[in-house]
Amino acid sequence: MIYLDNASTTKMFEECLEVCKEFSCNRFFNPSALSSGALEVSRLLAKAENYILSRLGAKEGNILFTGCATESNNLAIRGSLRTGDWEYVFSVGEHPSVFNLAKKLQLEGFKVHFIPLLKNGQVDYEKLQEVLNERTRLVSVMHVSNETGAVNDLQKISTLKKAKCPKAILHVDGVQGFMKIPFSLRDTQVDLYSFSGHKFHGPKGVGGLYVKNKAGLKNLFEGGGQQYGLRSGTENVSAIMQMCKAIQLIDEKSNYQKTLHIKDFFNQQLVSSGCARFGDVDALSDDKMIVINDFHGSPYIENLVFQGVKGETILHALDEKGIIVGLGSACSSKKAGNRVLQEIGFEKENIISSVRISFNAYLSDDELKIAAKVIAEVFENIKERVL
Amino acid sequence: MKRKVLLLKFGELFLKGRNRHDFINLLKSNILNKLKDLSCKLQETQGRLVLTDYDQSQESVIIEKLQTVFGLIGVADAVEIDTSLEEIKSELLNIDLFGVTSFKIESKRADKTFPLTSMELDKLLGGVVLDKEPNLKVDLYNPQLKIFVEVRTNGKTYIYKNLHACAGGLPLSSGGKGLLLLSGGIDSPVAGYLMAKRGLEIEAIHFHSYPYTSLQAKEKVINLAKEISTYCGKIRLHIVSFTEIQEQIHKNCDAEYMITIMRRIMMRIAQKIAIKNNLGAIITGESLGQVASQTMQSINVTNSVVDLPVFRPVIAFDKEQIMDLARKIGTYETSILPYEDCCTVFLPKNPVIKPTIKRAELLEKNLDIESLVNEAVANEEIMEINQY
Repeated sequence: MIYLDNASTTKMFEECLEVCKEFSCNRFFNPSALSSGALEVSRLLAKAENYILSRLGAKEGNILFTGCATESNNLAIRGSLRTGDWEYVFSVGEHPSVFNLAKKLQLEGFKVHFIPLLKNGQVDYEKLQEVLNERTRLVSVMHVSNETGAVNDLQKISTLKKAKCPKAILHVDGVQGFMKIPFSLRDTQVDLYSFSGHKFHGPKGVGGLYVKNKAGLKNLFEGGGQQYGLRSGTENVSAIMQMCKAIQLIDEKSNYQKTLHIKDFFNQQLVSSGCARFGDVDALSDDKMIVINDFHGSPYIENLVFQGVKGETILHALDEKGIIVGLGSACSSKKAGNRVLQEIGFEKENIISSVRISFNAYLSDDELKIAAKVIAEVFENIKERVL
Repeated sequence: MKRKVLLLKFGELFLKGRNRHDFINLLKSNILNKLKDLSCKLQETQGRLVLTDYDQSQESVIIEKLQTVFGLIGVADAVEIDTSLEEIKSELLNIDLFGVTSFKIESKRADKTFPLTSMELDKLLGGVVLDKEPNLKVDLYNPQLKIFVEVRTNGKTYIYKNLHACAGGLPLSSGGKGLLLLSGGIDSPVAGYLMAKRGLEIEAIHFHSYPYTSLQAKEKVINLAKEISTYCGKIRLHIVSFTEIQEQIHKNCDAEYMITIMRRIMMRIAQKIAIKNNLGAIITGESLGQVASQTMQSINVTNSVVDLPVFRPVIAFDKEQIMDLARKIGTYETSILPYEDCCTVFLPKNPVIKPTIKRAELLEKNLDIESLVNEAVANEEIMEINQY
């Protein structure tokens, strides 16, 4: 199997298993209990928190451990709501766990603004600048698009925020950014940053939320008051430690360089097969090629349009040959259409023909060669059958 | 001797004359099959079945299961006592009347040797209740509580308050076997349910077009088969790949006839599998005029390639009615999952609404129908599903 759907989830590092066993069967204590073993576990949790803060490049703040990024996003946004004449600003490119929540808030009577996307997949900074004002309570823009890989400029957004609404809270959904794109929160105005363990070779069922100023956040549910009272419930120590292990094993700077090479190499292989070419969303002719839409954002994600063929058909046919690709957010691929691609100006037929390729830093050249070859063959074969 | 039992009522079986006994035996065996994981005894008395010796803590589970047995119209949790007026009176006084303001006694005397008629019994027993609870009112038309008293011919009397409605219909397998075209949509599971309700045993056939359709679409159909199997009993599901046939039609026939010819070939494959498996009818979820392929003309053109009877139980149903039934039998939620079935991949923009047999036959000359059908049948995958 060659797995090219890493934006959906990644294979867990085997090293995490030992950590799992250690914190499930040996040091399994409830960190809030009073025994010496429990105290030790709570110290380790605090250490994990500080370690993740340092990897985020945060000067101050805390990490709240959650069950997943969807929970982190909901906590970040709902926890920042205030009564009064406030405005809430979201990009239209957000993951459903943010976008659908924003829609819901709108129905609940909150004043919500949606900022469109540029052709390159980034948020439209000019529109953002127009919308921000002193009544803006929250701005939520994702770090890296899970659909296109476009990377939003957190510094630029920080500058806008500082100038137009310095008191607003800036939330960034960092699920496809953390441990993938080298960056430091130190240089930004980010107040809240969400991430998810299974996107960087950690376990599923654990995520986190960086919180710069915990006094500004409200808890979503009442309970035993764990994690500063902001996320009650016994901490999933084992999963948190496994996620921490994965973070320790990753050098995001060198992985970034490796993945740049991987994407480049893969695309060259595809192009040299003769059935693919580079293109951009604007200028897709109907030449029945695989069009590589490189948004030059994250090297981990790209979009391929298989002209004239349905992306889903390609996905199934590749699956049969052991190549796993994605159709964009698993949370949205079950529904017709793809909101994000539509927002950046994809025609309907190109959306239907889209496949998302997402890499990890550990793919070998041989694997990429095989994958590109099989993709080209499968495309030619399906084309012959349906056209 | 007094004990708690379940009293089972069956409906139309009375009408079946000399076959009545066969029907009841079939019903009994279906009930025991339904309750195979629970220990119990089933007895027959004239006009009723009585379920005894079961685990009282499982009573609501058993009732729920019995509600999915075709042929039963009602099940009551009753007290069984030896028939005598004194016993009946004293048992009546055990009934919990807390919060009740009006009531009615409904007696049924099946045992004609019992000295009182049903009406006399009603009056007498009503008086007994009123003696105990003088504040209660008798209301013959709209009582808050009905108390049923059935004096049966087996020397026992059954007293109960609650009659739970069951699925009705005729016992499974009393009407032969049919092959259901199961698409994954809302209509076909309902069609299967309705025919099973009339006593047909069901096998099902599903066409998939991997890689044009997903594995999830196939999984969805397997789940639908499981859901109707609760009512329809064991289902053999024939899964047939339609990929090559669709590609051939796409290449060789007019786009507007795509669906017409697809459906004609599906019917041929269905008939072939039906005959091979001794199934006497084909069942579809077609509803007149719902889509282009379900106009009268289209149905005529697809029907003309088969000789077996084709049952279309929802032909005259509105979509809303079908959806209501789907919700009732529990298939709706699965049916609306958004996975494409094989019909939507090569869907032409303008399918023909009034196709003709002549034109379809002409276009089919471009295909080697016989070998396509044979190959599809030869490569079928069969799954046994049983959630009864």
